[in-house]
Amino acid sequence: MQRDIGKPLFDLLLVVASAAAFAVSMTLPNIEIVGDLSPAFFPMLISALVFLFAVPCLIKDFREWQAAGTDGERTGAPRGVAQWLLIVALALVYILIFERLGYIVSTAIFVFACVVGLLLTGGTWRELTNARRAKSLAGAAVFAAVLAVVIFYVFTELFEIPLPG
Amino acid sequence: MIAGYLDGLGMVLQFGTLLAIAGGTLLGIIMGALPGLTSAMAVALLLPVTFGMPPVMGIGMMLGALCGAGASGSIPAILLNIPGTPSSVATTFDGFPMAQKGEAGRALGLSIVASFFGGVASMVILSLLAPPIADFALRFGAAEYFSLSVFGLVIIASVAGKSLLKGLIAGLLGFFVSTIGTDPITGVDRFTFGELSLLTGINLLPALIGLFAVSQVLKDAFEYDPNQRLKDSGHRIDVARPRFMETLRNWRALLAGILSGSVVGPVPGAGGSIASLVAYDQTRRFSKHPEKFGTGHAPGIVSVESANNALLGGALIPTLALGIPGEAATAVLLGGLMIQGVTPGPMLFDDQSGIVYGIFLAYLVANIFMLLIMCLGIKLFIRVLMVPRKQLLSAILVLCFIGVYGVDGDVFNLYLMLGFGILGYFLNRYDFGTAPVILGLILGPIAESNLRRGLQAFEGDWTPFFTRPISLTFLVIAVGLLALTLWQNYRTRRVPATSSEKGE
Repeated sequence: MQRDIGKPLFDLLLVVASAAAFAVSMTLPNIEIVGDLSPAFFPMLISALVFLFAVPCLIKDFREWQAAGTDGERTGAPRGVAQWLLIVALALVYILIFERLGYIVSTAIFVFACVVGLLLTGGTWRELTNARRAKSLAGAAVFAAVLAVVIFYVFTELFEIPLPG
Repeated sequence: MIAGYLDGLGMVLQFGTLLAIAGGTLLGIIMGALPGLTSAMAVALLLPVTFGMPPVMGIGMMLGALCGAGASGSIPAILLNIPGTPSSVATTFDGFPMAQKGEAGRALGLSIVASFFGGVASMVILSLLAPPIADFALRFGAAEYFSLSVFGLVIIASVAGKSLLKGLIAGLLGFFVSTIGTDPITGVDRFTFGELSLLTGINLLPALIGLFAVSQVLKDAFEYDPNQRLKDSGHRIDVARPRFMETLRNWRALLAGILSGSVVGPVPGAGGSIASLVAYDQTRRFSKHPEKFGTGHAPGIVSVESANNALLGGALIPTLALGIPGEAATAVLLGGLMIQGVTPGPMLFDDQSGIVYGIFLAYLVANIFMLLIMCLGIKLFIRVLMVPRKQLLSAILVLCFIGVYGVDGDVFNLYLMLGFGILGYFLNRYDFGTAPVILGLILGPIAESNLRRGLQAFEGDWTPFFTRPISLTFLVIAVGLLALTLWQNYRTRRVPATSSEKGE
C-alpha cells in the first residue's frame, strides 16, 4: 500500500487554519440587536466545528500513513508535480500580465507557454529531433495565436463581453 | 399552469433561445465525450457566457450542456471502453462488447434514443412533481428555511465525500467562505482585510469555475502523460441512426432506467453512477436472459443510458422547488440560476411561473437537440476524442480566465478563482469533495439570515426551531442521516477487523 504524507499534512493545515480563523473571528466587533446573534457567531461556530472534525481526520490519516509502511511515498510522480506547478505558475503570471499586456498578447504567451511547457516537463521534448522541435514550436505558436484571436472575437463581438485590448 | 406553459413557450420558442440551447447542448456533448471533463465543468464554463442573457435563454443553455454531457459519455464508453463521465461506467458493460461485434453504430443509436426517452420522461416527472413540492414549501418561514438549509448541507456532506467528517468539513468551509464580506444585518465587515472586492462577499462565479473547472484542469495537468494517446477505435461510423423501435421493444429496460434515474436523482449526492448501476442491476435481475448481460446485450445499454438522462430531471426537482441541488452539476446550475437573478425555491413557482415552465420546456428542447446533434455529428465527436490534451487544457484555462474577468473586469476575482482551483484540487485529492463547498457557499447565507431573522422575530427564543413540525422534521432527518452514516462507517470498519481476527 502506498502512503501519502499530503493527506495528514492537509488535515494539519485545516486544523491550523480553523484555529486561526476562530482567533480572527473573536476580534470581530459585537453589535447588540435584540434577539439577534453577534456577527462573529457563525464564523466562530464554523471554525470551531472544522477544528473539531479535522483533528480526528488528522489522527486517522496520520495513523494510516504510519501503518502503510515504507512501500513508497505517493507524493505523485516528479513529472506530475512539475506539470502541476508549471500550470499554477503560468496561471499566476497570466493574471499578472493580463491587463498590462492586453488580452490577445497575454493569452497567446500563456497558451504557447502552457503547450511548450507541458512538452518540456512531460519529457517529449528530449525525444524529438531538431526538425520536429521546430515544427512543435511553430504549431504551438500558431495554435496560441489563433485561439487568442478567435476567443477575443467570440467574446467581444458575439457575447459583447469587453476584454482588455 | 396552462398560462405558465404558454408564457414559457413564448420564451423558449425564440431564435436566440433555441440557438443558445443548441450551443449549450453541443458544448455539453463535447465535454461529456472527453474523459476527465465533467458536466459540472461544462456548466461552470458556460456561466459567464449566459450572464447577459434572459433567464430562460441562459438556463436553457446550461440545461443543454447538462443534457448533452449526460448522453455523450456513452461515446468513448462504447467505442473505446473508457467512460466519458462516471455515470457512463455501466455503459461499457454492454456497449463496448456490442461495438467489438461490429455493431458500434447500433450501440450508439440505442444509447442516444434511450438517453432521449430518459430525458423526456424525467421532464414530465419534473413538471408534475416540482410544482406541488414548491406549493407545500410556501408554508415555510424563517425556522423552516434554516432547518432546510442545515438538512441540505448535512445530507450532501454525508454522501458526497468518501468520509462523513471530510464531507462535513468541506460543507463548513463553504459556509465559512460565505460569511466573508459585510454582515447583512449589522453591516460589520467580516474577513475583508481592507480588500474592496470582498465587501460584497465572495463572488459565486470564480468559486464555481475554480472549484469545478480549474481544479479539474490541475488534476488533468498532474496526470498528463504525453505517451498515453487514445487509440483510434477502428469502428467506422458516419451517422448513428436512432433506433427508436429497438429501444421501445426493450421497454422494461427503458422503464427501469427512467424509474431509477427519477428516484435516485432527487436524493442529494447520490449521483449518476448509482442511478445507472441500479438500473443495470434491476434490468439484469428481472431479465429472462441475465446471462446475456455483459456480452453486448441491448437492454443493458438502454437501461443505463435512460437512467443517466432521467437522473437530471429528478435532480432538478429539489433544485428548483427547494433550492437544494441533487449533485455537483445541479449545484453549479443552482449557482448559475442565482447569478441569473433567479432564486430557486417555492417563491420562484409563485412569482415567476413563466420562467419555471420555460425551464421545463427548455429541458425538453435540449433533449430534442441532443438527439439531433448526437445522431448527425457523431463522426465529429469521435474526432474530438483525439484532440491533444495539452492544447485542450490550455484552451479550457483561457476560457475560465476570460469568463471570470469578463463579468466585472476585476482581476482580484482571477486570483480568487485560481485559489479556489488549488483548494478544489486538494479537496478532491484528499477525499473531501467540492460539491459540499458550493452547497455551503449557497446555503450558508440562507441558514444564517433565516436563523437570525427567526431569532429576532421570536425575541431570542430558539425553541420554535425545534417545535414547529416542518422545521423539526428536517432537523430530525438530518440528525438521523448523520447517525445512519456514522453507523454504516462503524460497521464497515468492524467487518474487516472481525474478518482479519478470524483469519488469524
